[in-house]
Amino acid sequence: MWDGNHDLDIVSSQLNSAACFRNIHCTAACLKNRAARIRVGKGDKSVTYEQAYHPHHIGHRKGWLSQHTSNLQGEDGAAERVVEDVFIRRFMYGTFHGCLADEVVIKRRGNLLVICAVMIQKLLPSKFYFLIGYTEELLSHFYKCPVQIEMQTVEEKVVYKYL
Amino acid sequence: MASSCSQALRRHVCKSCTILQMHVSFFFIFIFFSEEIVIPKKKTWSKEAVLQALASTVSRDPTASDYRLQDDPYLTPKTSSEFKLFSLSQESGKNAAKYFINTYPKYFQKDYAQPHIPCLMPETLEAQIEEVSEAALIERIHMRKVEAAVDLYDQLQQAGTPVSLDVTNQLLDLICFYGDSDPAQENVPKQRSEETEDVQDEPQTKKGRASKASDQLKAAWKENNNAERIFALLSEPNTHSYSALIRGMVKYCAYSKAFSTYTDLLNNRLKADVNTFNALITAAPEVKEKYNEKWELIVDLLKEMAEQKVKPNLLTLNAVLKALRHCGTLGKSQAFPVISEMKALSIDPSLASYNHLLNIFYKPGAPFLGQTGILQEVMNEVSGKSFTPQDPDDGICLLLQRCLLTKDIEQAYRVHELLGVGENWRLLGKDLQQNIYYARFFSLLCMMENIDVMLKWYRDLVPSVYYPSSNIMRDLLQALDTDNRLDLIPQIWKDIKQLGHANRQKLVEDLLTLMAREKQNQEVQESFAECALDIKKMYDTGDRGKVIMSWTATSLSDIISVLLAAQRRQDAWEILKLFKTHNRVPSEELLNKFLMCIMESGEVNHAVELVQISAGFCLPETPKLIQRVQQEFQLSEQQKNILSDLEIQTFNSD
Repeated sequence: MWDGNHDLDIVSSQLNSAACFRNIHCTAACLKNRAARIRVGKGDKSVTYEQAYHPHHIGHRKGWLSQHTSNLQGEDGAAERVVEDVFIRRFMYGTFHGCLADEVVIKRRGNLLVICAVMIQKLLPSKFYFLIGYTEELLSHFYKCPVQIEMQTVEEKVVYKYL
Repeated sequence: MASSCSQALRRHVCKSCTILQMHVSFFFIFIFFSEEIVIPKKKTWSKEAVLQALASTVSRDPTASDYRLQDDPYLTPKTSSEFKLFSLSQESGKNAAKYFINTYPKYFQKDYAQPHIPCLMPETLEAQIEEVSEAALIERIHMRKVEAAVDLYDQLQQAGTPVSLDVTNQLLDLICFYGDSDPAQENVPKQRSEETEDVQDEPQTKKGRASKASDQLKAAWKENNNAERIFALLSEPNTHSYSALIRGMVKYCAYSKAFSTYTDLLNNRLKADVNTFNALITAAPEVKEKYNEKWELIVDLLKEMAEQKVKPNLLTLNAVLKALRHCGTLGKSQAFPVISEMKALSIDPSLASYNHLLNIFYKPGAPFLGQTGILQEVMNEVSGKSFTPQDPDDGICLLLQRCLLTKDIEQAYRVHELLGVGENWRLLGKDLQQNIYYARFFSLLCMMENIDVMLKWYRDLVPSVYYPSSNIMRDLLQALDTDNRLDLIPQIWKDIKQLGHANRQKLVEDLLTLMAREKQNQEVQESFAECALDIKKMYDTGDRGKVIMSWTATSLSDIISVLLAAQRRQDAWEILKLFKTHNRVPSEELLNKFLMCIMESGEVNHAVELVQISAGFCLPETPKLIQRVQQEFQLSEQQKNILSDLEIQTFNSD
């Protein structure tokens, strides 16, 4: 009898271990070998430098799009920075709709948040300045830190190659 | 990305290249924006090149635009109206964001900042406390809601709740400062804001530009307005209440009332404070007519101040000096004793005091014999000191105006140096004041200095700090003329185009006259001809509703003279035809000049056409022209007939 209880405990404890569970996969499948890569196509798709090089080229042929110190040893807040970055990128994409020529680069220096963007000369300069003032003010109040936008304009999206 | 990177890199490299090139070798004449950037294949640097390059980054960059704007060629303004447009649109974007932040404050409440940053939190625009109480009144006073505060006060009185004297005094301050009406809504974008002071401490500082202040002051002090009514309701008004009322009256030009209120104060055996006395001294020149009466009133006030043991402050000194301006010659004799007495009380004069002093001594239109010394003495006092803005009349513009009126370039340089000392950049004021300052500086430079110094300042300040107006460009052209450097005219024309002054009639006509006056050497004449053709394009129908200039006889003849001197007969011929289309009459010397040119080229047809044109205008010159053509040209039969017909015509018409 003692052996039966013991066996039952062993079986149930093993049944409760993580290897025996099957959970529901809630998100879509995000394969890491398909992320941030534009696949080669017919040759009519224009692609910028940033888009042409794949993530394993970061640090070799590409730079980083987001620069902060949270990933250093002993620093915290990395997750919050990521969430802020995602929000800022969506905000910039929506506010300057159709004007962004390339990905937004976000730099943090101390308290200051610098958003560097390359824009197409689609709007009049006065409209650009309106949106810049609006973005800086809104994001400063939202994140409680000074936000600065450094903008550069190009006439058209700079094409690196056609895929 | 690579090409935009390399573009940006090239621009960056070129900027540093040019910085080093400035020191290592000079081969550009550069007027702003039009530098030819050439990247050499190999370069050798001197030993101090790096240090010199680093040193050039420390001071202001003359090639960059204002710090508020983005550093991109598409986003850099080229004219002063563009600059204003861009900075104002940025401000309005900020206001739009503020509207959203204040309307939906719940999204902006999460506080990440340690320590807490209060200016980044949403503001409450509506009064929170609803019930009729003293705290609600205090809240509305803080929010500067004048009418709401007055209503609430009346409600409190009717309800019988006693309102403390302090709060009532604050309410009186509010009403007297804003003149019994709500302050204008701050929808107008604030420019670079000056120091803002609390209402209770300094209700007399006038905020905003001169235009805004005069808008506020247009509302004069009304009879039996709320301030007086509430004051009358007070059972025991104290010094503060009287002070608020008197200062409000003086601000809104009810001067005699202010003085009668003051006598009430004295009758109630109360003491006045220093701000009240300042207000009364400001009001004194308006109340009396004669110079000595005014001065006696001021002296009486000062004596009473001493009796009541109220210490004067800087604003007292400035008020006295300002009042002395209206006292004529008496002012001149009394100004210096006043200053020395104040200095004895350890009140240092500010820039405003010096401004008033100069205004006392330099009357417009009076000859300045023996008075130039004062400006110099003032500059001696003032140089090297750092001033903080304490008085609304502090402003470095007026000092420069004095230098301009007395044509004193030495002192002007000292004034400009003063701007670089410490905090004095604040004294330059807002954009409008800044423009006025630089306009005066440039006109003085054009008048007094030779062209090289002038161009050095021009390259330094334009367009990073100042966008010159068309008047300044005309002054510059005159300076070029005086110094005989007319060869620089085409470059100045390029700058004029970029500044957006290319369609100003007087400026362009001045330019043309200068070019046409004398014949220059070959290459200069060529550049003049290019410039003249460019100017001609400006006269043609402009697009997008720009101001179109109209041709005058002088401008047409000037262009033709310039083109003829550069041997461009074809272009000159086309312009000659414009005389007819625009109904202008050519002068005889022009036609003579043209004829001489035609003689050189030997075009007989042109000669005949020229005679026909002049006959078409019925010029008295025509017979002589006809004779000259007949003598000096080989004419065909047909042409001889034409000429003889014309001769008969003109003979008949005489």
